[in-house]
Amino acid sequence: MASSSSSSKTGLKKMLTLKSSDGDEFELEESIVIQCQTIKHMVEDGFSLIPLQNVDTKTLTKIIEYMKKHAEKTESNKEEIKNFNKEFVKGSFDDQFELVSAANYLHINGLMDLLCQSIADRINNKSVRAVREIFNISNDYTPDEEEKVRDEHKWAHEGGEFDESLD
Amino acid sequence: MAVENRYSSAVSGGGGEIYHLPEGCIANVLSLTNPRDTCRLSVVATIFRSAAESDAVWDLFLPPDYRDIICRSSDGPDSIVFSSKKELYMYLCDHPFFIDGGTKSFSLEKRSGKKCYMLAARSLSIVWADTPRYWRWISLPESRFSEVAELLDVCWFDISSKINTSMLSPDTDYAAYFVFTTKSRTYGFDHQSAEGAVGISGNERKTQTVFLDPEAARRHMYQIVPMRLGLLNRMADMLRREANPLPSESEAHARYPQQRSDGWIEVELGQFFVKRGQDAELEMSLTEVKGGNWKSGLVVEGIEIRPKEG
Repeated sequence: MASSSSSSKTGLKKMLTLKSSDGDEFELEESIVIQCQTIKHMVEDGFSLIPLQNVDTKTLTKIIEYMKKHAEKTESNKEEIKNFNKEFVKGSFDDQFELVSAANYLHINGLMDLLCQSIADRINNKSVRAVREIFNISNDYTPDEEEKVRDEHKWAHEGGEFDESLD
Repeated sequence: MAVENRYSSAVSGGGGEIYHLPEGCIANVLSLTNPRDTCRLSVVATIFRSAAESDAVWDLFLPPDYRDIICRSSDGPDSIVFSSKKELYMYLCDHPFFIDGGTKSFSLEKRSGKKCYMLAARSLSIVWADTPRYWRWISLPESRFSEVAELLDVCWFDISSKINTSMLSPDTDYAAYFVFTTKSRTYGFDHQSAEGAVGISGNERKTQTVFLDPEAARRHMYQIVPMRLGLLNRMADMLRREANPLPSESEAHARYPQQRSDGWIEVELGQFFVKRGQDAELEMSLTEVKGGNWKSGLVVEGIEIRPKEG
């Protein structure tokens, strides 16, 4: 924190390097990267080359795109950021889960909120079957257990059709 | 609600599949859906169930001021204590409790977690209610409140009440319902509609035609059916309308009584959208002062304010 304020005073932009799990390196201004709490802590601990062994190049590229745009955030470009966010969350569920996983690991709260809201909107009113397929997970209940969990909240399974689509 | 993992502790895998997501992330997503989706989707897999049980999720489904409301409980706040937020939520949905000295009951609507109130007859403004010749206060075992108002006889039927919109859930379509029952010797409402209205005090409020006679709904159906039949039926229908004049447009939009699961009858008085941050007096009323006939035999439980379904 102290180092970033002193470097801006002198007009020099402090640069950091992020290294993806695929070994690709990205050089970025510190002011952009410190949106990410995990990296901020590492910068405070004196790191300037930051290896991210849990984030592949494809995901990191997306995350950098997000951080760059959000570093430009001001009072006057709210609409632009809103549109950017809308475009940013378009894409497959798989890509989104990868991003959630990375945003959670990197502690980028704004991105976490954006992604979780987007996933929540997409699973709204979906059927159990559709959500299993979307999340690509196998049912790990025994038939008896599943019946029991279903019985606990009968009201939540009644009254109206649920969305079976996978988009 | 980021899940604790400082950079030193690497998360294994980190792939796109949901099983690699910490439970906290799933809880985060579920907390942004609604109580009904969350309960239904706990069937998806065990990881969903454990996420769907977490306090973090249900804390967000409870109204932000639920602690203040519990503190207003007539039985004291200690009467409502649960070990998990989900148990508390379910209790508040299924067990309306009295607040403000027993003049209101409070509960949550299960699917959405929105606030619902029933204003007891005693807390309503009922014209002539203090005159024993016109209204009488009685206790009924089927009432949640200690007293209900029985209409003995009035010409001027006029009931109203107010609630501050800040007590309601924001960004929500609400409707107010008059909750009552009829006695065998009910009269004066069979051919006479009343006017219901809901809106901000002081502003002009749109009124709607309200029928209080449960038989009116059946008659209404009967009047519509013969429209397509022959001339004789049409004439008979016209005669019936003449004998029982009602503006057909208001009749088409009229509200009819419905049976409730608690044994009482309800009829909608009007609807209202509560905006976020709105702090205004919402006024609800039910009047029949135009017919001038004597009316008798209703028993008033109160006025319920709850979110519109769907």
